[in-house]
Amino acid sequence: MDPPAEVPPPSHRRRPRLDLATPSLLGLPLVWLGAFFLVPIAIVTAYSFAPALAPSPHPLTLQTWHDFLHSGVYLRLFWKSAQMSLTVSAIIVVLAYPLAYYLALSGTKRKYVLLLLLIAPFLTSYLLRVLAWKVILGNNGVLNSFLFWSGLRSPDNPISQLLYSRFAVMLVLGYIWLPFVALPIFVSLESLDRRLLEAATDLGASRLQAFRRVTLPLSLPGVMAAFLFVFIPTLGEFVTPSLVGGASGYMYGNQIVDLFETGFPDWETGSVLAIFLLAVVAVLTVVFSRFLQPRQVAQD
Amino acid sequence: MDVALSRTGAWVLRALFALVVVFLYAPIVILLVFSFNNSSVPAFPLSGFTLQWYREFLGNTDLRGALETSAIVAALSSAAAVVLGILAAIALVRREFKAKGPVSALLLSPLVIPYVVFGISLLLLFHTVGIPRSILTVVIGHVVISLPYTILVLMPRLQQIDVSLEEAAYDLGASRFRTFRSVTFPLLLPAVVSAYLIAFTTSFDEYAVASFVVGSRVTFPIYLYSAVRFPYNLPQVIAVAVVVITVSLLVVVGAEIGRRIAERRLQSED
Repeated sequence: MDPPAEVPPPSHRRRPRLDLATPSLLGLPLVWLGAFFLVPIAIVTAYSFAPALAPSPHPLTLQTWHDFLHSGVYLRLFWKSAQMSLTVSAIIVVLAYPLAYYLALSGTKRKYVLLLLLIAPFLTSYLLRVLAWKVILGNNGVLNSFLFWSGLRSPDNPISQLLYSRFAVMLVLGYIWLPFVALPIFVSLESLDRRLLEAATDLGASRLQAFRRVTLPLSLPGVMAAFLFVFIPTLGEFVTPSLVGGASGYMYGNQIVDLFETGFPDWETGSVLAIFLLAVVAVLTVVFSRFLQPRQVAQD
Repeated sequence: MDVALSRTGAWVLRALFALVVVFLYAPIVILLVFSFNNSSVPAFPLSGFTLQWYREFLGNTDLRGALETSAIVAALSSAAAVVLGILAAIALVRREFKAKGPVSALLLSPLVIPYVVFGISLLLLFHTVGIPRSILTVVIGHVVISLPYTILVLMPRLQQIDVSLEEAAYDLGASRFRTFRSVTFPLLLPAVVSAYLIAFTTSFDEYAVASFVVGSRVTFPIYLYSAVRFPYNLPQVIAVAVVVITVSLLVVVGAEIGRRIAERRLQSED
């Protein structure tokens, strides 16, 4: 049997070569991320298993990981940092919730103006906001000198421990992230159908009951997202603690920096610490991925 | 009766909101006040008005150099991030392909990586490959961290643009590139501008990653960090802080107003 006559291709207009097909669209972004994001992470991973990548007699080794997991020093520091981040995140989520509730549900006409007022500080310089607190909290800073000047406290007896403490780190981190956590909560409350609340009220629920049984459960995804948006970045924080933390505010991130930058660098241990942190963040991101949908952030 | 808030409840929340706004802006106002204070130590009592600190910072060449370096780094890195972001956003919104989930996860993953980890990763990469640290290495890092932000800004806008406009141009004989240039891009422009602004401010303010890969020519945040850590000319730094914060607040408000206008225009075109 004859092979079926080949159907002549429909006469196409000639298309120019420059065609935005999917591979050519994704090529550049993926190559960039591959070269400057994935490969660097792979190198750190390799460092954590094989000290000094230069040709050496050392085979792959688990020694650095073994030391990290057994010495306890670094894990205790990690736990301390995690507790600080958890506390800060929990406090500011609880504080931001009523603010977002007010904006989304009070029926105020200027809710977007007020939202912008709340969020604007987040969009200004991070370091300068830390600077402001350093100026305020110092032993002879704005707060203490105000207290001396107004006679509320004697100059011999300043409130010390304001700066260079765990408290200072948590206060500044809370200050920095507070405007931002209101956003995802606001988005989830804003999309709440008010008719649900009306239905609850019609059925005899008090406002408190309606809040507990309707509003709160429906806004929980936004609350979770807000919590994670703060918890994940503050877990590896090192800038704020190095500026206002002193010894007691020292965090896990500072340890990583010090292992890479001080006079006695230990890149292998530093790499282990970094990969451990990355793994924790990756697990958190995957486990809670349904709360981290970009849609929640993108709608502002 | 209001179903969400009693009158007392609304009053309490309004008061709480006002308190938080005071808490958020008080440190900025304090910086503003002390930037005009005639004393080298920022402390009470206030000792008189001066513009000395502003004059000094205008004459501080290190600081101006750092501002200039940051402007260059931010301009370059945000331009690159926006171009990559446009390409990626078109692929994610307009094309169907396998592995879309993993690809978009990868494109957005710089959002969640701890900057300290990313910073040392880049440091080890440049060390391994033998690239000396310079403003170029900072630009490379900043493109990576800005890219997801540009994608997140561009994608929703692209979704709003009616595909049939692009198809019409295509049917009328325009190439895909021509279609993009003459139809998609002009409609996307407001989002491109906000993506650029977001990437620019992200880069301009970025310390953590830059601290690992910066060369001898320092960016503004690197300069600021040492000035904040070892404050020997604190009032001058405070004056700079006031200028930078004021400018960025104006940019934020301006960008928001611009976005509103653009949005209204798009809606009236529909």
